[in-house]
Amino acid sequence: MAVREDLGVSEMKSGGDDELSMFNKENLQSNMKVIYYSRTFLSIIGGVIAGIWGFTGLTGFIFYVLIMGITSLGLAAKAKFSAQTYFDNWNRILLDGFFGGLMSFVLFWTFAYDIVHIF
Amino acid sequence: MSGEDLVLDTAIRDWVLIPLSVVMVLIGVLRYFVSKLMRSYQAPDQKVVRDGQVILRAGHLRAGANFIPPKTFYSRRTYFTNEENGILHVPKGQAQNAQAQMFSDPNMAVDMMKKNLSMIIPQTLTFAWVNFFFSGFVAAKIPFPLTQRFRSMLQNGIDLSTVDVSYVSSRSWYFLNLFGLRGLFSLILGEENATDDAQRMMQMSGFGFDPAKNLSAEKDSIDILQHDWALPKFEKRAEAVLRRIVS
Repeated sequence: MAVREDLGVSEMKSGGDDELSMFNKENLQSNMKVIYYSRTFLSIIGGVIAGIWGFTGLTGFIFYVLIMGITSLGLAAKAKFSAQTYFDNWNRILLDGFFGGLMSFVLFWTFAYDIVHIF
Repeated sequence: MSGEDLVLDTAIRDWVLIPLSVVMVLIGVLRYFVSKLMRSYQAPDQKVVRDGQVILRAGHLRAGANFIPPKTFYSRRTYFTNEENGILHVPKGQAQNAQAQMFSDPNMAVDMMKKNLSMIIPQTLTFAWVNFFFSGFVAAKIPFPLTQRFRSMLQNGIDLSTVDVSYVSSRSWYFLNLFGLRGLFSLILGEENATDDAQRMMQMSGFGFDPAKNLSAEKDSIDILQHDWALPKFEKRAEAVLRRIVS
C-alpha cells in the first residue's frame, strides 16, 4: 500500500513500560491524519471501482467493508504490526474513520455506476 | 435490476449528471479560496492569548506530571489551582463579563458574518442555478434498494409516485454531492478545509467559546490528577535493558 507514503509516519517516542504510556500529542495527531487521508482516499477509489464493476445492493457494501479491511491491514503493516508504537490503541488503526468514508464511497459508487451502467 | 423500467437518455448523463458534479467540485474549490482571501488577520486580544497559554502550560504539566518529583508537582499544582491566587482560578462574576465583552466586540461579529456568508452565498447560488437549469430530471440511480421513506429525500423535484425509489432527481443529486464531496475536498484542499467547517459549526452553535469555562475545566482536571512519579521505576527498566544487552 503505497498510498500517501510521502506524508510519512512519524514515530512516537515510546520509551517506558507498557503500563506507562508516553505519547507525543502532535505525532499522534499526525498519524491519525494519515489514517484519515488513507481511508478517505481508498473509499473514493473503492467507490469508483465498485461502480465500474457494477456492484449493486449488498455486494457493494460488502466490497466497502472489504476495502476498509484491506486498508486496516495495510495500515497495520505500515505500523510494523505494533500499533502501540504509533497509536494509543489498536482501534485507531482498525476502526477510525470507518463510517466517515461511507458517504464518499456511496457518492462515487453511484456516480461511476450511473455513468457506466445506467445510461 | 438495472433500468428494467426506465431508460435514461445519454444526453442526461452528458449534460446533467457530469456537469453538475464537476460544478459542485469547482465551486467547493472556489469557495475555499474565496474564504481564504476574505479571512482577515486581527490582532489577538491580550487576555485571550494569556488564558490560552496558561491552559497550554497546565496541559503540559498534566502530560508530564509523572516525570517530575512529587514535591515539584505539588508546588506547581498549587501555583495553578490555588483558591486565592492560582492562575487557573477564576473569580466569580468574571465569567459573565468575558462573554458580554465577546458580544460587544464588533470585529468578532463581522468576521463571523463574513465566514457565514462565504458559506451560505455560494450554496444558495448553486441551489438556485441547479433549480433553474436542471429541474425535473431523473439524473441518477443509486445502486442499492431503499424503502419508500427515502422518496422525498431522493426524488425532490419530481412528483412521480410510480418511479422506483432508487432513482435520484437532479436536485437531490445536488444534495448528495453537497454532503458526499467533503471527503474529496479534504483530500484536494488539505485538512484545513475539513476542520474549518467543523469549527464554523461549533462557532455558530455556541457563539464563541468561553475562556473562563476552559480555565475552570483545566483546573478541575489538574485537581483530580493522581501523581505517580515514574523515575524510580525507570532504574529497574534501565537495569533490565542493560542486562538484556549484556547477556
